[in-house]
Amino acid sequence: MLTLFGMSVVIFVLMRLAPGDIVDILFAAAGYVNEADKKLIMKELGIDQPIWVQYVEWLKDVFTGDLGKSYRYDQPAWDVIRPLIPVTVELAVLATLISIVLGVPAGVISAVRQDTTLDYVLRVFSLAGLSMPAFWLGMVIILALVSWAGWIPPLTYVSPRENFKIHAVQFMLPALAVGYRSSALLMRITRSSVLEVMREDYIRTARAKGQGERKVIWRHAFKNAVLPVVTVIGIEFAFLIGGLVVTETVFNLPGVARFLVQAILWRDYPIVQNLVMFIAVIVILSNLVVDLLYGWLDPRVRFAD
Amino acid sequence: MAARFMLAALSVAAAVLAAAPVSGQAPKGQDKGGAAKPAAKPAAARTAPNVPSPAPHPNGKAGGVLVAMHREDLAQGFSIHETATIATVWPGMPCFNNLVIFDPFKPVESMDTVIPELAEKWSWQDNYRNLVLFLRKGVKWHDGQPFTAKDVKYTFDMVREAPDATGKLRINPRKDWYANVQSIEAPDPHTVIFHLKRPQPSLLMMLASGYSPVYPAHVNPVEFRTKCVGTGPFKLKEWRKGEFIEFEKNKDYWVPNRPHLDGIKYIIIQERGTRFAALQAGRLDISFPGEATKPIADQLKASGAKLSFTLVGTNVNDNLLMNIKKPPFDNVKVRRAISLAIDRRAYAKAVHQGGAVAGASMQPKPYGFWGLLEKDLNALPGYGKPADDKAQARKLLAEAGFSPSNPLRVEMGTRAIALYVDFASFVINELKQVGIEASLKQVETAQWHPMVTRREYQMGANLTGLGVDDPDGNFYENFACGSPRNYTDYCSEQVMQMIERQSQELDTAKRMAMVSEIQKRLEMEAARPIMGWRLDYFPMWPYVKNLVPHHNIYNYGRMQEVWLDK
Repeated sequence: MLTLFGMSVVIFVLMRLAPGDIVDILFAAAGYVNEADKKLIMKELGIDQPIWVQYVEWLKDVFTGDLGKSYRYDQPAWDVIRPLIPVTVELAVLATLISIVLGVPAGVISAVRQDTTLDYVLRVFSLAGLSMPAFWLGMVIILALVSWAGWIPPLTYVSPRENFKIHAVQFMLPALAVGYRSSALLMRITRSSVLEVMREDYIRTARAKGQGERKVIWRHAFKNAVLPVVTVIGIEFAFLIGGLVVTETVFNLPGVARFLVQAILWRDYPIVQNLVMFIAVIVILSNLVVDLLYGWLDPRVRFAD
Repeated sequence: MAARFMLAALSVAAAVLAAAPVSGQAPKGQDKGGAAKPAAKPAAARTAPNVPSPAPHPNGKAGGVLVAMHREDLAQGFSIHETATIATVWPGMPCFNNLVIFDPFKPVESMDTVIPELAEKWSWQDNYRNLVLFLRKGVKWHDGQPFTAKDVKYTFDMVREAPDATGKLRINPRKDWYANVQSIEAPDPHTVIFHLKRPQPSLLMMLASGYSPVYPAHVNPVEFRTKCVGTGPFKLKEWRKGEFIEFEKNKDYWVPNRPHLDGIKYIIIQERGTRFAALQAGRLDISFPGEATKPIADQLKASGAKLSFTLVGTNVNDNLLMNIKKPPFDNVKVRRAISLAIDRRAYAKAVHQGGAVAGASMQPKPYGFWGLLEKDLNALPGYGKPADDKAQARKLLAEAGFSPSNPLRVEMGTRAIALYVDFASFVINELKQVGIEASLKQVETAQWHPMVTRREYQMGANLTGLGVDDPDGNFYENFACGSPRNYTDYCSEQVMQMIERQSQELDTAKRMAMVSEIQKRLEMEAARPIMGWRLDYFPMWPYVKNLVPHHNIYNYGRMQEVWLDK
């Protein structure tokens, strides 16, 4: 709660300290500024009040469940934000799953087959993923599809209920573009973590006891190596929620990240505040899930004093 | 007593005219209408070179949904009167009607191409001091309410901020268009009279612009920020924020057998590469006005996609702001030197890769009606031989007290958008060649207009789109003393008098000469040097019929005649 409170203050103040406001943008769209009209609109929107007054008003509204009204769209902020959340969450979840499916096994194999050709190939694969920005990869995918197949994914959101096949295609491509980059990071973390664990005495003991190599790797080594990997997965997931802006823009997906950037450019304070708080909640929740997973994965954490 | 007599006389004149046969061109399915024309006819408009005039198809096929490109979400919903951006006008036009409109099939807009819309006939009275418009009967708003003269009076009283206006716009960028309107009268439900302070034939041009829709008097203007209630060929179906704006056919539209389309869907795509990839892949049927620059058009042509391209002017120009109130720009020699230093033709090549044309303050021919002839242009600063112009620039700077040991140092502000930065960088490079040291300052969009309005700049890279190719629509807005959009504070009593005189001139040939003189004067005084006028290579798929791009991006979005041959 303290974190959220702190975040709310920081975001509230920072947005209002940034030069320009929604009224400036509205007049920019009209190509002129009239100071008298500007004051009237600022009063109408309540942004002529001191920052602390605006903050208190905002807090009061939040505690009564009112998230405010979008300055740009003149609609309740929640109505504007609500359709965006499933899009970004789904994309982030898919990208995370892809990164786990690609990155973790690759990391384990690379560690077990250290310094072999396979290890080098996988490391080059991961380096390429880390080097390629996801948005660039996304743009390349789109241009390649247009050039070779004369086709690109649908550009308006199709829900799974409307058409699951199109929905799947619409999300798989951006998820792959983002997931590949995340998998590269996971692969390297997994590899270094497994390598470290493989040198431990208990691994030698397990082998000496006659356990099969597969059991040694997955039951003993991986289980102990997975904690830092889980941490990185948690961080990556939280980062994705706000960091998908360019991918959402390239693939034209109506998600939180892309909308947040537009709201910042428009100084649409209610939207920015609510979206940033949403991202903060996701970060906190994902950290909580990671902490809980620690307890499940490592009994020493569960039974510590 | 005198006023009553005048009103009676006008009513009689209006009744006589209503009964008299009139002539004029109109698309099939509409009543004929027309106007008493000024004495001299304008020179025949020429189309852009190498572009065949598309023949309108008289019998369109009904059905289909046109999928159109849109580059950004709506700024203030469908409130066209509260914005000055194509991003609102383009998707908003299908919802509305104007009193009059530019013929959708004629790319060059002029008085001759103004055709009836909600006004089925009109008549100028009292030497162009009163414009009487006879409105169509039986027209309904999308919510079923009847359209009457009250709506017209309401709309234009609101826009001109009449003291007794019942509606109020939060932001009103085109109040000055109607500054000459004394009053608006609605003597009966189907007649409106605009009483002007002095003759102004251009009023009709401004009423024909996409920026001049008629609003319903029974709907609060605030509601247009979230929905659209018009009389137009299409009704708003859904606006999914940040995703698309969708319209469906208005089945009660007052034009029989129109529109042909079942609907229009504007897909909002912020990333330019994705926009044109979507067009190439056939996910979109048409481009967005002004977006298809020459490099993009070349790329699309090279891709092999069988798109059709139409080269048109946009009525959008790049121009240089100089803060005339602050030294050294209060010195006309310095301003002229800067204008001389910038090679306009090189600008069109370097910044727009040939996708722009040189011109003075009115869009050049053949795209615009009022543009200067080539021979007149060549005599202006920056349009002649570059070496000679730059030598002259150095001489003027020396006369103003600047030299290699005492160079003029300026700051060039620009919005932090790639095309503006290119513009500014080019200018800085040109100025360097005459000894002016200019630095670049990039400013976020949210800060740009406030900065310019507060005059906290020295020089600025600016873009101006003109809603109508008419001197009144341009000069009053951008060069008149005290106009809010006269960002440079240029003010010349002599030029103001010239602007006033041309506005009242009824003879088109004489007016053309006056407008040419004004343009030359503005360039010689470097009031707001024009860098170039942008071109659009508007791509669309060939199965889209009857969409004829105009040499003005703001006025051809009605979509009433468009149909899909698939």
